Amino acid sequence: MSTIRNVRDVVGVPTPLIDGIEKVKGQAQYTADLPAQGALVGRILRSPHAHARILRIDTAAARALPGVRAVVTGADCATTYGVLPIAMNEYPLARDVVRYRGEPVAAVAAIDAATAARALRLIRLEVEHLPAYFTADAARAPDAVALHDNKPGNIERAVHHRFGNVEEGFARADLVREQVYRCGEVAHAQMELNAALVDYDPARDHLTIWSTTQVPYYVHLMLARCLDMDMSRIRVIKPFVGGGFGARVEVLNFEIIAALLARAAGGKVALRLSREETFLTHRGRPETETRLKLGMTRAGKLTACACEVVQRGGAYAGYGVVTILYAGALLQGLYDIPAIAYDGYRVYANLPPCGAMRGHGSVDVRFAFEALLDRMAAEAGLDPFAVRRANLLAAPTQTQNGLRIESYGLDECLDWVERASGWRDRRGKLGTGRGLGMACSHYVSGAAKPIHWTGEPHAVVQLRLDFDGGITLLTGAADIGQGSSTLMAQAAAEILGVQLDRIRVVAADSMLTPKDNGSYSSRVTFMVGNATIDAARELRARLVAAAAEQLGAPAETIDCRHETFQAAGSDSPGLGFGEVARAALAREGGAITVKGSFTCPIEFQGGKHKGGAVGATMGFSYAAQVVEVAVDIDTGMVAVEKVWVAQDCGFAINPLAVEGQIQGAVWMGMGQAMGEETRYENGLAVHASLLDYRVPTILDSPPIVLHIVESLDPNGPFGAKEASEGALAGFLPALTNAIADAIGLRVDDLPVTPDRLLEALAKRRRERRLAASLAEVA
Amino acid sequence: MDGLPEFRVLTPRSVAAAVAAGARPGSRFVAGGTDLMANLRHGIGEPGTLIDLRDIPELHGIAAGPLGLSLGAAVRLAELAEHPAVAGPYPALAAAALAVGGPAHREAGTIGGNLCLDTRCLFYNRSAWWREANGYCMKHRGDICHVAPTGKRCHAAFSGDLAAPLLAHGAEVEIAGPHGLRRQPLGDLYAEDGAAHLLLAPGEFLLRVLVPPDPWPAAYAKARARGAIDFPLAGVAVALRLEGTGVTGLRVALTGTNSRPFLLAGTDALLGAPVDAGWRERLGKLVQKQVSPMRTTLLAAQYRRRVAAALAERLAGHLADAATP
Amino acid sequence: MTHARTSPRPSRARVRLFRLNGTDHAALVADNVLLLDYLREAQGLTGTKRGCDGGECGACTVLIDGSPRLACLTRAQECEGHHVETIEALAEAGRMSRLQRAFHERLGTQCGYCTPGMVMAAEALLRRDKAPDEAAIRAALGGNICRCTGYVKIIEAVQEAARDAP
Repeated sequence: MSTIRNVRDVVGVPTPLIDGIEKVKGQAQYTADLPAQGALVGRILRSPHAHARILRIDTAAARALPGVRAVVTGADCATTYGVLPIAMNEYPLARDVVRYRGEPVAAVAAIDAATAARALRLIRLEVEHLPAYFTADAARAPDAVALHDNKPGNIERAVHHRFGNVEEGFARADLVREQVYRCGEVAHAQMELNAALVDYDPARDHLTIWSTTQVPYYVHLMLARCLDMDMSRIRVIKPFVGGGFGARVEVLNFEIIAALLARAAGGKVALRLSREETFLTHRGRPETETRLKLGMTRAGKLTACACEVVQRGGAYAGYGVVTILYAGALLQGLYDIPAIAYDGYRVYANLPPCGAMRGHGSVDVRFAFEALLDRMAAEAGLDPFAVRRANLLAAPTQTQNGLRIESYGLDECLDWVERASGWRDRRGKLGTGRGLGMACSHYVSGAAKPIHWTGEPHAVVQLRLDFDGGITLLTGAADIGQGSSTLMAQAAAEILGVQLDRIRVVAADSMLTPKDNGSYSSRVTFMVGNATIDAARELRARLVAAAAEQLGAPAETIDCRHETFQAAGSDSPGLGFGEVARAALAREGGAITVKGSFTCPIEFQGGKHKGGAVGATMGFSYAAQVVEVAVDIDTGMVAVEKVWVAQDCGFAINPLAVEGQIQGAVWMGMGQAMGEETRYENGLAVHASLLDYRVPTILDSPPIVLHIVESLDPNGPFGAKEASEGALAGFLPALTNAIADAIGLRVDDLPVTPDRLLEALAKRRRERRLAASLAEVA
Repeated sequence: MDGLPEFRVLTPRSVAAAVAAGARPGSRFVAGGTDLMANLRHGIGEPGTLIDLRDIPELHGIAAGPLGLSLGAAVRLAELAEHPAVAGPYPALAAAALAVGGPAHREAGTIGGNLCLDTRCLFYNRSAWWREANGYCMKHRGDICHVAPTGKRCHAAFSGDLAAPLLAHGAEVEIAGPHGLRRQPLGDLYAEDGAAHLLLAPGEFLLRVLVPPDPWPAAYAKARARGAIDFPLAGVAVALRLEGTGVTGLRVALTGTNSRPFLLAGTDALLGAPVDAGWRERLGKLVQKQVSPMRTTLLAAQYRRRVAAALAERLAGHLADAATP
Repeated sequence: MTHARTSPRPSRARVRLFRLNGTDHAALVADNVLLLDYLREAQGLTGTKRGCDGGECGACTVLIDGSPRLACLTRAQECEGHHVETIEALAEAGRMSRLQRAFHERLGTQCGYCTPGMVMAAEALLRRDKAPDEAAIRAALGGNICRCTGYVKIIEAVQEAARDAP
């Protein structure tokens, strides 16, 4: 990009978050912290049944209870919602049928929590039970009743993709292995509980919602749809959000329910969910079974890949179609694989709906892939690093499924983690029960094709300059703690040549800020970052024009750095920012507002095959990691001693935040690999607390040493790509590969909880004993 | 989101006043409340009156003397773990105290509370909505045990850490109640019934714990999935006396595996022999035979059986190694 | 310990005297009000966060007489005669304390939701141990769950605050 200077003043500099001071001082207001004087308390009645036809919901007694201001049921909203226009099959409150234990069936708004709780107990739900299915196998059984009439066999989506000649690939392989891998369902467990505050003004028919969302725009769309309101009458505000990780990348039932309650009550309703309810709202990563077959030459070169994936998606569609497509699409883009066959099945079951979670679609399949690769490398007598290096891509290139790769720093990632971990010297010499394992992973920098096609750009940012000399950056992008507002301020300040604190970011308020699709699929840095640069260049041009007039020099000779405008080669002290801003305001006729945008070119939007848009992106991040473990074979406990990780994020606009994102991603992968898992007893969640859903504590968490690789993507903002998802998936196989190195046991099912590891060890002992006795007999 | 049910709190300043208050129907004793408050928030129990015992001077203080240790029931776990009369001579006890919850739990939680901890179960420590949806259970409002539906009793597991080292040290408890004070071995406080595991009459509460002097070397280990917060999947305390190379004293206590903490029976058979691989295996078998973990936790019951044995073997080995010059 | 069920009696509201963030305070609270709700709802001190359904995450950690305690398991009534300190009390004249500054500058906070509890737990540690080693930091923060950072930068932040201590 022509105007990127080699000298950087603001980007590339470790920068504390511009909204961090509020957080450490306890002043940051999250949804549940907002002033709610006079707000009614909302509560949701949830189905105790896994699958049942609703015969009657009697709310008369609840409505008659003094202090109750509104009661709503499925009768109050006959419109479905969902995130994918092709798969909106969920009602905010169940109508006709409940499909999982915990599904909302009614809600009340009352003057206080105790009254709301009493009112819930007065609601009578009469149902006729239907058969319920809690596993993908049971739901796919030939005689299973369909959860949704239009989806026979409970298959939400079957995908069959073929690229290259798979049969020929396996035929010319020296080693072909097939293995089944299972990953338990996991949840985001974001620290902030789900909550919404809704203010409805009946006199004006206006509705304002503050919510714990990553996607204010999608919330806006679905509120308009479900409440049948004109979008101009709705205002969506995202206050501070306490983490997302994908839990909040679609409108969630409680947001619509809160709005229905507020409208019915004609006032303000605060709906704050418990931790259990937050888990029940779910949208986590589905339980996944991956049957993977790989072919490899003697030299470690991959010849073919066949992969079948079954995801247990829960009771409703959500992002399901995208998840099952990602699982296949992202087999590609990391290595050079000549032939790939993919069969994916997304299955409905009577459980809380799954959705998108950090590393969406890629994680469980990447685990299988890197684990099988490690197993085959060992069998072929090859070093795991050598096998990866034998299959590297060379950018620029395009994969068989139409994914374009313009930058590729995986080789450098591999080199760094190999060296930093002391792989060559230390592996195999760590002593009993200790081992090293490695793996690679990648992820998209935003989906190149938006979910809702409107013809508008992928991202729009506005900048405003007025008399006070402050520059206001208006963006719809949702900072959920990842630091997107800081990144945008840095990008604008860099282009404009001003100090960071001259930029003030106003974000995610539909009344003030331009539309943004939200914080998901790691799209914000790439897309909103580029839109910010675009806007900043426009404002810069206006300022430079004014400076040129003042300095009597041609505009193209003028640069601005450190808030000083100067003509090239001039000895004059130049003009200060304030002076130039005043001149520009006079010249432009007052307050200057500029707009910048970014659109992914059509050639980046994926292959022509059905579902080919999923996986397509402007740039992939790449990561490699080495995990060191100590395994206690008496207790089954695995201790992760240290992790070395390198990630190609293109360019680190904020290296401090990039480090935090990579560490967080690796660690979240660790949680999934080692202990986190949702569990259901006849469809009832038994994991729905932070005691039972075992997020690692600080005492379980290793040092994570990292290195940032900067491949400078030609299309990324300053060369940047995503930084927060790519390293997650690699942890899972790096861990099991390390366990295999430590104790010679290959773990194919995750999480590798101590009970499962001891069971696997006991099984191995039994098998060895059996083999030994057979050998004796022979 | 469930708040607390309606109740009033009494804060008696003497044992007599507490006993009198405890005679009220529907009253319940509380100290740190780290277990009780969580249960009340989940709608488990609706005591009309909470009697907070922490203002009673007799329940405080740690005293060490020729007769051993006297530990007030309201001594906080953090206090217990750090006290020089505990941390030095009774490292197993300090380790167990430090293994409870997180630091903030240990600042509030007390010795008495940990010893009188309610039993826990997958089907019990859940929200009011959840338990109603599941048809309740034998321990609270229901009549079957989901863990063993054909069984006659509740299998909820006792999950306090302190009981194990205290049992291994042969501790006794002093109990106050309507009929005055009584003193008994700690083990007699418990019964193997998850719904009625504490053998305390109405109005009775723990006053002090008395630990004999000159303890055998002892250690405590806790199996749990995470390094903090979690309750024990199995907790094992071993006290072992070695003379020459032979074991002359052995007490092993277990918690987390049954509805009560208990002392392993039959350890006499292990006396007189050195702690070698065979000895450890015999100890492990003894543990495996006597623990009876059920499906009360998300981690498998069979694991808790195995790990209890493994930890007992390991602790005995460490203690023997430490005692051997 | 008795286990009888009786019909609930309304909790009494009584005036309780305690110190709150350095100021003597008379609070009219019912016996069954959690400290967490009292701080957030009655006092507007929303820095103390609710992250779980009771004692599982540490987000509501406050100091009582300098020791870390969980406001979600503590009744406001229990605080009578004691000193309760929340995250809002750490800044001096609006300026971040050394510990808060370290969390900010080292990115010990991402989404920020666990941060008040985490900072208060670290504050309790640094008040009794001016130079904690890494193991002591880990032990002191064991009850506080963070979902963003992997804890790496949290440890660095506490180390930096300790290093900069006068």
